Amino acid sequence: MSDDPAPQPPQRPLLTVLALTKHFGEVKANTDVSLEVWPGTVHALVGENGAGKSTLLKMIYGVYQPDAGQLMVEGREAVIDSPADARRLGIGMVFQDLRLVPALTVTENVALAMPGGITLKLKELKAKIAESSERFGLSVDPSARVEHLSIGERQRVEILKVLMTGAQLVILDEPTSVLAPQEVEALFRVVDHLRDQGFGVLIVTHKLNEVRAIADQATILRGGRTILTNVVPKEHTDDELIQAMVGHSVSDLVRRPATVAEAPQPALQITGVDCRGDKGHLALKAVTLTVHRGELVGIAGVAGSGQRELCEVAMGLRKPDKGSVLVDGAAVQSPRAALGAGASSVPEDPVADSVVGRLSVLHHMTLDGRPLPKRGFGINWGSVRNRTESDNERVGLRIAPPHRKLGELSGGNIQRVVLTRELSLDSSLVVAAYPSRGLDIANVRQTQQVLLDRRDHGAGVLVVSEDLDELMGIADRIVVMHDGHISGEVLPTDYDRRRIGQLMLGGAA
Amino acid sequence: MTVTMIKPVSDQPSDPSPATPSRLRTALPGIVRWTAAPVAALALFAILLVIQGTNPADAFSDMISSTFGRQQSIEQIFIRMTPLVLAALAVAVPARAGMTNVGGEGQIIVGAVAACGTYLALGDSMSGAIVMVTMIIASVIAGAAWAGIAGLMRLVTGVNEAISTLLLNFVALDLLLFLIYQPWRANPVGQPATRELSDAAKLPVISGTKVHVGIILAVVLVVVVHVVLRKTRWGFRIGVAGGNAEAARRAGFRVGALLLSALLIGGALAGLAGFVQFAGVEYKLRPSFGHQLGYTAFLACWLARHQPFPILVAAFVFAALGVAGDSLQIDSGVPSAAIYILTALILMAVLGFTTAKKKARI
Repeated sequence: MSDDPAPQPPQRPLLTVLALTKHFGEVKANTDVSLEVWPGTVHALVGENGAGKSTLLKMIYGVYQPDAGQLMVEGREAVIDSPADARRLGIGMVFQDLRLVPALTVTENVALAMPGGITLKLKELKAKIAESSERFGLSVDPSARVEHLSIGERQRVEILKVLMTGAQLVILDEPTSVLAPQEVEALFRVVDHLRDQGFGVLIVTHKLNEVRAIADQATILRGGRTILTNVVPKEHTDDELIQAMVGHSVSDLVRRPATVAEAPQPALQITGVDCRGDKGHLALKAVTLTVHRGELVGIAGVAGSGQRELCEVAMGLRKPDKGSVLVDGAAVQSPRAALGAGASSVPEDPVADSVVGRLSVLHHMTLDGRPLPKRGFGINWGSVRNRTESDNERVGLRIAPPHRKLGELSGGNIQRVVLTRELSLDSSLVVAAYPSRGLDIANVRQTQQVLLDRRDHGAGVLVVSEDLDELMGIADRIVVMHDGHISGEVLPTDYDRRRIGQLMLGGAA
Repeated sequence: MTVTMIKPVSDQPSDPSPATPSRLRTALPGIVRWTAAPVAALALFAILLVIQGTNPADAFSDMISSTFGRQQSIEQIFIRMTPLVLAALAVAVPARAGMTNVGGEGQIIVGAVAACGTYLALGDSMSGAIVMVTMIIASVIAGAAWAGIAGLMRLVTGVNEAISTLLLNFVALDLLLFLIYQPWRANPVGQPATRELSDAAKLPVISGTKVHVGIILAVVLVVVVHVVLRKTRWGFRIGVAGGNAEAARRAGFRVGALLLSALLIGGALAGLAGFVQFAGVEYKLRPSFGHQLGYTAFLACWLARHQPFPILVAAFVFAALGVAGDSLQIDSGVPSAAIYILTALILMAVLGFTTAKKKARI
């Protein structure tokens, strides 16, 4: 308990979680978890993947029933048997995967959530939405179709929906994980606004800078237990908070200056490439880019500026209309050619592009582009297993057990399997799109370290990221893309967020 | 959630298959549903029989006694299930690669046509064994080629193989009709048909029965397909391509070649089914050759969830229903078409009751 809950503690907490416990068989998802959310307060629920955040939310929202412990709403004991109960008690939830119907308008989507008779009275509702969106500081066009909205706008619709159904406590489940940096700022303005209007906000995150930016109070979970309860983040150092999250302090990145290898040819040489995206538009325009052996090049840009196409062209997955692509000196026309020239890659969307749900971790470890280890007509699974064990040890991302099916794993765990497979190869070129997506602090750091190690072993490394801090931390130079062009290149001595930001928007540096 | 369950890799079981702690408890709901499905189907069928004016209890007991009570009927079941097993495997192999082969019917017909053509060309000039081996090779190649047309259309122009294989069935049927009405017709009057195989070219029967040796071939091929899909590199690759073609492409697999090869092998198996039906049962081509074998096998394969060993069971059930339908007509005067209704009811009930729901992730 903090002695001084932020501004002017009102009479009662909106929500009190008292010693909740929930075990699934062997798995102790939550043990003795407590926290309080006060009106007019933003409370951050912080923890690594698997710390028990989702389980706690599901108990608060009535999806799971606790094995032991108590929930209180505005000081009164509450039994929450279902999400409908939770909503009646003024608890609203904005899920990570937004639950809107894309083909319907904003008004229609809100109508789906509103109680009421058979008729929809869409006109009235539309006026109400316009009014509420003004009041809550959520700019939303009630007649826009959801499919035409950006993720950030969709999230605002969800928040609005939750508020209009009478929520006093708004739960945001990892809201920033799907957002671009600018959208995060916009979201935080909305959250500020809600706090000012006296709502309680429980925001789930595993990013320290977000806790710092938005939270009045924080509760840190680790291994299903509350390590710090209702603390004021300002009163703790970064190290203390990280240690509470991961159980040990995270070592700093070991970074040696790049030693560009005296290789006969660069790892990747893209010359004058024009290339179309999936929708037929020109996604890359006269792109020329060289990545040398022993060099880590970062690619920055607003989402959809051609990063995906750039990675796919480099890996032979997409045929350029014009220009040439060489990996380690070999012309690349197909994925097989790129893999044969020693390229490896971490795809932008591993679930869609490199996962077969019914196959196991072990099966996936063979999908690295090298020939399958033979045994007669079959596969030598023993050697795959040994390889996997040593790769896992070397890369240090602690992947799930080899027999687990990928379809049962969370996004972060899938990412770790793909990273472990691709970063354990002795590659000439590594193309990593958003390598730290879905990972917690310790694993992000570990991944960055392994990328640097790959570089030090003589690979050319290309890293696409939306996190400028990450790029400035590891890249030997940052190439900025805007609308399919390369709009500039920044060297470490000139690293500066504003400068890179200008290039991202197409301006001159 | 998941991370908390992860243990160090070193103490994992050495088998890639998951170790389920309570196998029986997880299997029990499945067993209940698999029992409930046919019961529900039979109940509905009983209602239909009552409406039709037949006592369902009598009809069922007649069906059972006449289907399983006579050696002759049991032999019939095995004879009928043989091409069904092969043609169902012809669906299962492409399904593993994520493709839908609805073309079993056509591939069976061209398989039989190729076998018949081979026989007509070679005549009885050579020993029966040589003729038979040549017929097998011809039917396998013809079936594969017929499926290969659809495969190439998919690769080159992107036409969905479910449509092209289906359409090719009608082409195959027309080809059959053309041949038996014109060049290959053996009888100037009556229902057109080709010359009957000489005894030496017919598939031999298992001694003491009327069951031809095709059933042995079918069972062997079930095992072979199981092993090939589960244990070989090719089987693994088509499984990956079928699960996520993009993942296969990014792993450097030749996805096009994999899809084509799976469809070719499917076609070959269906062609073989055509040979077995031709040289083991019908001995000549007639307009009704095959009796919709390909479509029945397609359903049997779905019932078996595209798994080789369950295909044996599904084919047996379908064959038994067919035999039961015949006896139902003879003994109870119920039109034999009624058995198709029962078959359809069972299929829907089984698919409806047993389709696994998507499990929520914790």
